[in-house]
Parts: sequence; structure tokens; C-alpha cells
Amino acid sequence: MAAAPSANGGIAVSEYDLMLKLAQHLDRHMIFPLLEFSAGQVVDEESGDIKDETKAREITQAKYGLLKKTNMTDYVANLYCELEGLEEPPAEFADKKQKVFGQLQKYEQETSKIIELLERDDVVNNLRSDKVANLEFLKREHEVTMEMVNALFDLGNLQYSCGNYADASEMLYRFRVLSTDNDKVAYATWGRLACEILTMNWESAMEELQKVRETIDSKLSQNPLAQLQHRTALTHWALFPLFNFDKAREPILELFFNAGYINTIQANCAWILRYLAVAVITNRGRAKNPGIHQKQMKDIVRIVKQEAYEYQDPVTRFVHALCIDFDFEEAQRQLVLAEEVLRGDFFLLAHADDFVDSARHLIFESYCKIHARISLQDLSARLGLNADAAEKWIVNLIRDTRLDAKIDYKEGTVVMNHPPSSVYQQVIEKTKGGFFRTQVLTAAIAK
Amino acid sequence: MSRFFRGGDDSSSESSSDEEELYSTSEEEEEEDQEEQESSEEEGEEESSDEEEGPKKTGLSRFLVDQAESESEQSEDEGATKVKSAKDKRFDELEATITTIQNRQKIDDWGSIANEFDKLNRQVVKLQDSGKAPKPYIKCIAELEDFLNETLAKQKVTPKNKKLNATNARGLNAVKQRIKKNNKDYQSQIDAFRKDSDAFMESDEEEAPRPTPAKVRFQEALAPEEAAEDEDRGFARVDKRGKAIPFSPESIQKHLRAIVESRGRKNTDRGEQIKIMEELNKVAETPYLKIRVLQTLVSARFDLGSGTTTSMPLEHWKAAERELAALLTLLETHKDHVVIEGAEEWEDDDKTPILGPDDKYIKVPGSVVSYIERLDDELTRSLQSIDPHTSEYIDRLTDEASLYNIILQGLLYYETIRKDAALEIPQESLNRIIQRRLDHVYFKPAQVVKILEENAWKQASSGVDSAITPRNLSGDAGQLMHTLCNYLFDNSEGIIRARAMLCRIYFLALHDEYYKARDMMLTSHLQESIANFDVATQILYNRTLVQVGLCAFRRGLVYDAQNTLQDICGSGRQKELLAQGVMMQRYSQVTPEQERLEKQRQLPFHMHINLELLECVYLTCSMLLEIPLLAQIGSSPDIKKRVISKTYRRMLEYHERQIFTGPPENTRDHVMQASKALAAGEWKKATHFIHSIKIWDLMPSAEEIKAMLAKQIQEEGLRTYLFTYAPFYDTLAIDTLSTMFELDSTKVAAVVSKMISHEELAAALDQVTKTVIFRKGVELSRLQSLALALSDKASALIETNERTLEVRTQGSANAFSRKDGRQGGQRGGGQRGGRGGARTGGNAQRQAGGTQFTGGALGAAVRG
Repeated sequence: MAAAPSANGGIAVSEYDLMLKLAQHLDRHMIFPLLEFSAGQVVDEESGDIKDETKAREITQAKYGLLKKTNMTDYVANLYCELEGLEEPPAEFADKKQKVFGQLQKYEQETSKIIELLERDDVVNNLRSDKVANLEFLKREHEVTMEMVNALFDLGNLQYSCGNYADASEMLYRFRVLSTDNDKVAYATWGRLACEILTMNWESAMEELQKVRETIDSKLSQNPLAQLQHRTALTHWALFPLFNFDKAREPILELFFNAGYINTIQANCAWILRYLAVAVITNRGRAKNPGIHQKQMKDIVRIVKQEAYEYQDPVTRFVHALCIDFDFEEAQRQLVLAEEVLRGDFFLLAHADDFVDSARHLIFESYCKIHARISLQDLSARLGLNADAAEKWIVNLIRDTRLDAKIDYKEGTVVMNHPPSSVYQQVIEKTKGGFFRTQVLTAAIAK
Repeated sequence: MSRFFRGGDDSSSESSSDEEELYSTSEEEEEEDQEEQESSEEEGEEESSDEEEGPKKTGLSRFLVDQAESESEQSEDEGATKVKSAKDKRFDELEATITTIQNRQKIDDWGSIANEFDKLNRQVVKLQDSGKAPKPYIKCIAELEDFLNETLAKQKVTPKNKKLNATNARGLNAVKQRIKKNNKDYQSQIDAFRKDSDAFMESDEEEAPRPTPAKVRFQEALAPEEAAEDEDRGFARVDKRGKAIPFSPESIQKHLRAIVESRGRKNTDRGEQIKIMEELNKVAETPYLKIRVLQTLVSARFDLGSGTTTSMPLEHWKAAERELAALLTLLETHKDHVVIEGAEEWEDDDKTPILGPDDKYIKVPGSVVSYIERLDDELTRSLQSIDPHTSEYIDRLTDEASLYNIILQGLLYYETIRKDAALEIPQESLNRIIQRRLDHVYFKPAQVVKILEENAWKQASSGVDSAITPRNLSGDAGQLMHTLCNYLFDNSEGIIRARAMLCRIYFLALHDEYYKARDMMLTSHLQESIANFDVATQILYNRTLVQVGLCAFRRGLVYDAQNTLQDICGSGRQKELLAQGVMMQRYSQVTPEQERLEKQRQLPFHMHINLELLECVYLTCSMLLEIPLLAQIGSSPDIKKRVISKTYRRMLEYHERQIFTGPPENTRDHVMQASKALAAGEWKKATHFIHSIKIWDLMPSAEEIKAMLAKQIQEEGLRTYLFTYAPFYDTLAIDTLSTMFELDSTKVAAVVSKMISHEELAAALDQVTKTVIFRKGVELSRLQSLALALSDKASALIETNERTLEVRTQGSANAFSRKDGRQGGQRGGGQRGGRGGARTGGNAQRQAGGTQFTGGALGAAVRG
């Protein structure tokens, strides 16, 4: 299964490559890892040979184009040399480097005082939560001006552009503490989110994500278009923590299923559905609350159905075939394709096996729900396993999930036992919460 | 008190009668100077109001009479003892009226002035001794005339927003017209008064010369207007003798002014005027004069159709269209002449304006866009009144092409003049004209639009091109629509913007771009605000909604189609809601006014959406959704009764009640019989019935639609069959089902799986034997199902309670968040707010319909 993609698969995968679509909504610096990944795919894993010269060159070209506008001069110079086959980078790069250094120094000078101040305990202890008061205080006691605060922002920006993410994050953090300029604070928050993502500092990235989300919800409520654009960007940025940090999974899924964001995804970037579907499906065993998972599953099915006219790839087609058409054969075919797509995707590579496994569970689940008797042979074909492995797999599954099913070995079938839900049980279920809810209601009225 | 004297006088207002009362009582004051009179009269006014209330208030104040009152009472006593001649009395009245007029002048109350002026003229007739008017009267009318001119002058200068209110404006016009006629009679006296007012007032009556109304020298201020009047009369005389006086280019402006002056008056012979102007148009030499003549001519032609019911005569419409085209061509060739709104009127009739060294343009006041709009409206109106099934209608419809040419030319003209920022052309004009263009395009198929566009561009001179819609765009109707609508999205707001959006959606839906249309409809959020728009826009919204529904149907999306059409078709008032005919309403009172409005709103026939087709689509969709549902409910009668389409249910019930059912005659019969067949599991028969509906042929690619319907009927038939006969089987072989319904066995399995998965069917599949095994013991006893129903109701009650409380507490009660979450989960697929949204929109629509769309009795006229 883990074998290198076949020639056919290769074409299929490139057809579903979302790089271009994703890149529109990501920052330059964030696209870089994606490009690196594509470059890595071109290189043969064992020998380290480059399989496809032209493609590799294209990627290098893309990298160069990407980073040309940043201030990572050394690296850009190297790329340029590689592209042009030069030994020495031309002088313009050195010039630019010099300029960048000059700027950096200038800003550092401008901000040295304020940074120093912020490191002194007596100053920090005097700061309160009120920004305006803080600024007044600093102005009065330490002659800090607005320009100095803004210089922090510029320095952070420059450092980010140089690829010095940790420092940039620090600068922006300081700036945010002091600045009262709401717009710039919002930019700084975005900047910090980018920094944290790029330094893979997921915990704080999640914090920043939350802050950005709040800003979008509150500040931009008057401007639907900007809100849509910001949400689109945030959705894309959130993919990094979603697939790299386990703890981020639930909050980000929650974020994505929030009405505002799910609408954004539907309206503006349906391709996110692939990631969403994978995340939901692989979340199967992990979710603390199976109810939420079921709800998310239902939602994703609904949305995949709605958006089928706009966006389709093997992952969504798998969901469609399985949960809407109940066409198990088609689902199986799509699963194979989906696996290859996952292996060619920067974000999903690590989750491919997980996904396949969860998907099989899903197939089996709905299979069992509908059928009373399934032939083992048929099932193993559905699951893409050989007969013995399938048997073992099913036994494990029955044990794990406590399904009410038995294997009839002689007949070669799995027999499912669907106990009809008793009427009494139904009545009990329906009236279960009644008392509690009425009490709550009474309490609420009494208030 | 003085009521005794003046009881008979009814025309004056309350306040003026007070004044009169006072004057009649204290007559000696009247001999004094006018100014004094006024001031004392004001005091008197207060007094009299005091008097009126004072004595009646309380018993005490009755006796506490103050000084002023007692005086006036004295004078009243005197007055009562004095014996007055009838003439004197009349004279008093006259004086009182005059003072009122003077007072009203001070506060610019033209409404009262007009009244008083009438009264004055009536009074003065009685007082005239040997044709000689009393002097105060002469003074009054002379002053009034001056004041009138002053006000008119002021009016021209003051900006529009500071105009008089409606009553005053009406009064002002009335006085303006009457005073001119009236003053002519007294011209000599007025002249004398003007020469030396004091002397005139002093002089004895006999000294004044007799009035000679026929030959008078007009005073300076009134010269142009009076001259025009004179000219006017001149024409009348000449024409009666049957000789046309020669028109010279020099006199054009005078003629025009005369015609403009007489506009809107009674007894003006519009046809005559138009003939005069046609003559004038021939002699007009300079572009300026030509523009003026054409403008006036076009307006005069529009006046012919100014009645609310009648449309403009055909030949005049055509002439107006030609003249408007000529005007636009003229403006195009003479770029230094512009017709813009808000330009200064040229006052000097003897000269024509010449391009000054500083000026870039000669500006002519007028609004091209208004002419075009009017022309468009007139065409619509005439189309409304013609029977659509005659060749006359088709002939008339060909005029649309020439109208479209004009619209395009107008658009080009506005684009050119907008290039010059100095002219300050409002964006609105351009928006309006683009909207008109859109209105002629949006409901037409792409090929028709293409032809229309090509012809229009052929007419336009070759050198010109439009910045907004370049010439080469004309080949691609979709792109044209896109450009036009986008322009309006960017540059307009409110109704025009909403209309542009709706037109675009309509066009998309017409061209089978369902998802685009639906998404635009949803993102426009119009369903929330549509109730605030005017009726025409609401109608457009309804049309668009219907078109989107039909589009969904063509795509085979039965559920969406039914949902979208539900609001319009389910109401049973399609005709009204789409403005395609007025409905008889049995129990509502319709005033003629409402009926007239309703008739005005009707769309011309060529824009209609075929109602029969619409009904057919709606009923077919309803059938496909309702029959399986009925079958499902039928097996367990206590399931909550869900109704998708009330209209359909009603028809079905009616159909079932009939004892004899003959072969189907109309669309409805076909669908009903198909429904019956489908319910019985005879899908082939159902398909046959549906396919034999003739109206499908009106749809593009009818065969595909029939095939789609056949497929849907097969599937729904299978579902219905399973619902209906499940209780009678233990197992059913999938292969049997597949042969019965001529469906693929995988397809059958998929349908069954879906039903099992959605818990619609208590069954399971056996993969080995390929059968459906129905679970036993699922049928509930009566007690059990009642218990279930009870528990359902109980939980519904709790939920309602919670919701009520939530509304009360503005949703602040967090305890209920649990419920919201679950509801969200339960919501089925394919809704996405579209359904809810559209429905609220529809409800608002229906409300609006309740108040505004009152039908009349004449609906049959436009029935499709």
C-alpha cells in the first residue's frame, strides 16, 4: 500500500493537487514548506536522484519567484545561482543584503530603548491592562513615543520577511501589548499567527488563531466581504495546526463547523472540504464525545452533497458514494484513489494510513447497518483486504466495537443481528429528558 | 356675535371669517389708511378669538369683560344702529378680503390667496358700477401681480428642495393663470395705479378713464409671457381662417414658449400644437433650435397619452421614436450641444444662445433618460392593451427593436457626456438607462438577445463604442448580462441594484445555470428585504423565483424545484404574484383605483412565464414527493402528518372523491391520474400519463426531461411500492424488484439501502441470497403507537415552552443551548438556508400580496 504511486496514480494525484488553490490564501512564507514538499516528492526516496529534471527546475523557479520579494537574501541568491548555474551570486543580492541589514540596524536602534524598558521589571510591573493608560505612563515616565511603538511593528515585519520568525513573533507581541492602533494590532496578530505556525509552536499558534477569530467576528461584522476573505485565509492557515498538532484538532474542527466558517468554505474555498472530510473521518476513534463526531459526520455528508456540483475529489467522492448513494463498490474504488491523493498532499501525508483505516471502519459500519448477512469474501473485497486479513480485521472490529455480529465460518458469512428497537424503549428515550428540562424551565421562569 | 351678519358667506376660511366679522362690526376704521387697518386688524384677530372663547368659558369670566371687548361691543351696538346700504356692505366685504390677501402674501400662503382671490373677483362684479372697479381692488390686484412675479422669480433661483409644498404650489399656479386674464380687463386702471399709486387712490372715480381691455400696453415685467399668450391666440385665429401663417426660424422660440405655456391646460388642442411643431421642425436651422423643437415635440406627443388608461396612439409613438432618434443623432453630431437636467432656461426669445468663448457647451435643459423611459413605458402600456393573440401584437412587438436602438443610443450619449466631469451628469441617469436596457434583455434567450444587439449596433454609427458594453460584447449575451449587471452592482444601490441582481439571476436560470442562479439568489439576501421594495420589484422577484424553480426542474432536481415553486404556486395566486392577469376575488372589495393599479402592473404577454407549464411542473414535482410520503404515512397512520404541498393534496382528494373518472383532459387530470397509478405501484402507467402531457413540448429538450421524469417515476414507484407492500412480505428478492421496475439491481439495492439507513424501512439486506428481509414485530399495536404519539407531543410541548422562554429572555438562557445543537444535527440534507430563506421571503410576499395585490374582475383579458 505504501508503494510509490504508479504512473497512473501520479496523473490522478497531480489532477487533485490543491497547491495552486491553497497558495492563493497562504502567506509567502507558508507556501515555502509546501514547495519544499513538492520538491521532496520529485526526489526519489532511496537513491536521492532527481526523477524529473524539468519539474524540479520548475519548483526551484517557483521558489525563487516566491522568495524574491522577501528579505531572505542569502537563500534567494543561492536559488538564483542554482537556476542560472552560476558560482557566485550577482552583486545586486549583496546590495540588497546590505540594505536589509541597514534597515534592520536602523529599526533595532529605534526600538532598543523600548525593548530595554520592557525588560525592566519595575516598568513591566507598572503596566496594567488598560493600553491607553500604559502608553500614557510610558510617555510620562520614560519618554516613549508612538513612533517607537510603531517601530516595533516595522522591525517585526522586517524580521519576518528575513525568515527570523521567532524574533518577529516576539516583536509583534511587544507591539501588541503597547499599541492602541486597532488595525495594526490586528495585523500584528495575523503576523504572530504566521510566526508561530512557521516555528511550529502550535500551542501559541492556537492562541493566536483564537484571537484572530475573535477579531474577525467582532471588527469586521460590518463588512461581509472582508469578513469572508479573512475567514478564508484563517481557514487555510488553520490547516497547519489541524494536521500537525493533535490537541488543535477538536477546536479547529469546531471552528470549521461554525456557521460562519462552514459558509465561507462553501462559498469561497470548497477544496477545504477534502481536509475537513479527512479530519472528521480520522477523528473517529479520538473524539471524546461520539455524539459530536456523529453530528460532524452528518454535517460533512450534507455539505459534500451540496457542494458536489462545485468540488469533487476522491475523498469527497468517497463520502458521497458511501453515505449518500450507498454504492459500496464505488466507495471502495474512491478509497484507493483517495489514499494516493493523501500521500501526495502536504498536509495529509502523515494521515494517509489513519484515514484508510477509519474509512474501512466507516464502510463496515454502514454495511452492517443495512445488511443482515454479508459474505466474507465480498466484504474482504470491499475493504480491500485478503480473506484472512479481513476475517481477522472483522473479529477485531466486533470485539472492539461490540457489534452484535457473528461469523459463520462454514457458510463464509458474517451474520448481523439487528435487534428491533422496542417501542417501550423508544417511549422511554423520548420522555427521558422531560423532567429535567421542565425543571430547568421552571427555574428559569422563577429567576 | 357678528355671525349674524356674515352667516351666508361660505367660501372663506375660518380665520378670514373672523377678520371679516371684526371689520363688519368696526366699520369706521375702514376709512383709515390701509397699513393701520392691517395692524389693528391683527390685534382684532386676537381679540376676536378671545371673544369667541372668553364669554363661553365660565360664568365668571362672562362678566369680567376686559376693556377691548367692551369697546368692540360698543362699536357693535353702533354698527347695529347704523343703517348701511347694500353697496356699503359689499364694499366692506371687499375690503376684508383684500386685507386677507395682503396678510397671506406676507406668509406666502398661496393656497389661501388663490381662494381669496376667487372670492374677491366674485365680490367685485357686484360692486362694479358702470364697468369701473373699486380702487382698493385695483390696488390689490396690482400688488398681487407684482408679488406673484417676485415669487416666481424667487422660485427659479431657489434650489429644488426648497420648493413650495403641494397646496401652495397649486395655489400659486392657479393665481398665476387667473390673474393674467383678470388683470387684462383692468389694465388701464392698473397702469394708472402703477404710475402714481397715491394719486390714483386719491383721485376721484370719474377721473379715471374707462377700461379698454382690448388694446393695452403690457407692462415690462410680464412682457414675454403676455406676448406668448397673445401669440397663442393669434394662432387660434389664423387657423380658424384656414390660413397657416409662415413660420420663420426667428419665431420658433416664441412659438415653443407659447406651446410650453399652454401645456397641461384645458382646451388646448394638442394635435394642433403638434402640427405646428412639425412645421417648426422643418424650418429650424441651427442645432439649438432643432433640439428645442424636438424636445418640445416629443413631450407634446407624450402628453397625448397622459391619461391613465389609454395608451399613446400608435402613429404618435412611432413619430416620437423617430424624433427621439433624430434628437440623439443630432446630439451625437453636434458635440457642443448637450441636453442635461438642471440647465438654465434660455429666456431671450429673440436670440438663440451662441457658444461663448469660455463655454464648452450650449446646455439645453431636458432629460434624455426620461424621454426614453417614457417611450418605453408607453410601449409597454400599448402592449398591455392589445390582445396578445392578434397579429397587431406581433407588429407592435417589432417596435421593441427600435426602442432598444434608442436605449442603446441614449446609453452611448450619456457615456459621452459623462466623460466630461464638468457637466456633472449624475450617475443615476446612466443607471436608469442601463436598467432599461437590462429590462429588455433579461427574459430573452441568448440567441434573441444576440440578434437584438447586433441590429442595435448596426444602427449606431460605426465610429462609436461603449465603454461599459463594448461592441464586440454583443455576440455573447451571457457576457453582456454579466457586464451590465456588474456595472449596476458597482454603481448603484437600492432598487436598481436589487433589480439588476434579479435580472441576472433570471437570465442565469433561463439558461440552465441552476447552481449559479441559486447561489446568487441565496447570497443576495433579497428574500429578507424584498418586502420593503416596490411592487414591480416584488413581481420581478417572484418571476425570478419561479424561473429558478423551473431551472431546477430541468436539471432533475425535483426536491429543489418543488421547494422553490412552493411559495408561488402553493398560494394559488400565481397570476397575481407574477402580474400575469388579475384574479377574481370573491370576498374582497376592490376599489376601481386598486383595480386600475393592478392592471397597470400587468406584464405584456411576451414576458409571461407559461402558467400552465408552471402548474404542470409544480404538480409533477409534488407528485414525486408526495406519493411516497403518502404511502409511508399510510402504513402507520399515527406518524406526524407531514404535508409538502397543500394545493396538491387538495386536488388529489378532490380527484379521489369523484365517482367516475374519464380519460384525462387537462394537465391537472393527467397528473392526478398518474398519481393514482403511481400510488398503486403502476409506474409504467404513471409514466405514460405524465408523458402524454402536451405542454412538455414547450420546454427546450423535452425528450430529455421526459426521460428524466421516467427515471424519477421508476425510483419513486419503487419506494412507494416498498412502503405500501412491506407489511405483507417477509422477504423480497432484489432481482424481482429490479425486473418489476426495470431498474438495475445495484440501483435497487442502493435505493433500499438508503431507505434502511434513513430508518424509513424496517428491513435489512441479505447479501448472500440477495433479498430484502423485512423485520417482524415492527407494526405497533394501537396502544403502542398512541403512546409514541403522546411522547412525541410531550417533547414537542417542552420544546415549545423552551423556545417561548428563549424569545422572552432574548436567548440569554444558556440552559437551552443543548437543544439548538441537536436541532442543527437533525436538519436534513440539501436545505442550507435556501429553503428557510426562500420561504420567509415568500411569506412576506404573500403578506404584501394581501394588502396590495387585490385582484379585479378583468383578469381573463390576459389569460395565457
